[in-house]
Amino acid sequence: MLKLIQIEFLKLRRRKFVWMMMLSALIMPFLAFLLFKYAWTADGDPRQFYKWSAFGFTLWIILPVVLGILSTMLMYNENQYDMLKQLWIVPVSKMRYFFSKFFVVLIYAVCFMMVTFISSVMFSVLLEDIALDWGNVLFLMKKCLESGVIIAFVILPILAIATTQKGYILPVSITLVYALLGFIIMPINMYLSPVSSMAVIVARNGDIPGLVFTQAMNIPLAFLCILVWDMISVLLANIALGKRN
Amino acid sequence: MQKLLWAEQQKLRRSKFVWIAVFATVMVAAIIFIGGLVEYDGVRDIDTAGWYMSVAQPLATIFVLSAVTALLGSYIICREEQEDTIKSLQLIPVNEAKLTIAKMIITLIFSILLYLLLFVITFVVEAFLHFSDLSIEMVFGFLKAYFLDGLGIFLAISPIIALVSQMKKGYWLALVITEFYSFIGLFTSMSDNLKALYPITAVFTISGYYDATTSQIILSCMSLLLCVGFAAVILAGMNKTTTNCV
Repeated sequence: MLKLIQIEFLKLRRRKFVWMMMLSALIMPFLAFLLFKYAWTADGDPRQFYKWSAFGFTLWIILPVVLGILSTMLMYNENQYDMLKQLWIVPVSKMRYFFSKFFVVLIYAVCFMMVTFISSVMFSVLLEDIALDWGNVLFLMKKCLESGVIIAFVILPILAIATTQKGYILPVSITLVYALLGFIIMPINMYLSPVSSMAVIVARNGDIPGLVFTQAMNIPLAFLCILVWDMISVLLANIALGKRN
Repeated sequence: MQKLLWAEQQKLRRSKFVWIAVFATVMVAAIIFIGGLVEYDGVRDIDTAGWYMSVAQPLATIFVLSAVTALLGSYIICREEQEDTIKSLQLIPVNEAKLTIAKMIITLIFSILLYLLLFVITFVVEAFLHFSDLSIEMVFGFLKAYFLDGLGIFLAISPIIALVSQMKKGYWLALVITEFYSFIGLFTSMSDNLKALYPITAVFTISGYYDATTSQIILSCMSLLLCVGFAAVILAGMNKTTTNCV
């Protein structure tokens, strides 16, 4: 399995665009810096700044879209050039192949959130009214690591859809709709979409200030939602890869 | 040019892309409708006449439609390179700049049609929910706004499509740039001047989604014209390169 993951990364080495997408981790920390510098005030509370730089749109919109595109890219080339036949001949287990891609997404998501973490801390230092407090920095790092891991599981349905398609347009369009769905459905039912369930897990115990939930927080239910979607996704990927002979 | 347009339209007819874009538009409309079902102080947004037709414009644009339009533009341009049909086209010979312009016109038509589809969906839902509250003036106002949205979004993203046509294999880049380009519109809409200047939000200033002064509308028109000018410069550069090659 480790070898497969290593091969996936070696393949990605040639795709500069994947690493360029990592730069989008800087968008929200930079925008938050501008907003807190010129429009709002954090009143000395770094969590107010971190909420915008790392937990706001980065987690609900930017990262799901980036990971959706990455998932599609990971599957697209091999599907397009019919490379899968050669992989099956090696032989590579179909589910191992799928999970190797998943681990690439997972590692990428964690790295993305680490870039967000570092840039958030750097931009918060540039703001004069926020003092560098190691307790808050550690809190941010913990939350970034946690959300990086969870979001990889949240994006698994997109990876599964990408395995069923030879093209990239449908998975990419579904990614956009999927991110928007998680964002909009939150006030109605937080336990229907994995994206909104992730919000419940990340913001548990009131960790993210100002995030108001319309329903009672139920962490096991949020995990169950993600688990159910992931199980269906793995099943779908298994069927789709099984048909590719 | 007419022949090129006809050929592009025929190629697109065979592609699944149109149906996927229609699916994305219907899904966005459905998601926004679900969002309108939330009660605030005992009142649901969806019960307010005009809310759905109004809110669907920025939400669909910022999150999905602009990216889908850019994806179509880059897809129909890059597929010639990707499927190696560009060599056959060059042998005919087809002027590459004219071909790109034809593809851009198709993208413009597609963008307008996508917005009109969104208008039809939102209007039908509004009519079903509260037909008596809708006035002809309001409906035609929204129809005009959606038409201008489709036109304006194409103009706003035209530099990205032109840039991608120059880079050939850059459809991923087009998608990512457009998604973040429209996403930043969420923040520029906070400032009166910025929202008139920034191309994505300038579209809404022109379409009438934002209450805007005449000077803001002029500023928005200039911003979109600048985008078109930028796209034209890129396309002209391409034309020059093609001529030099020949």
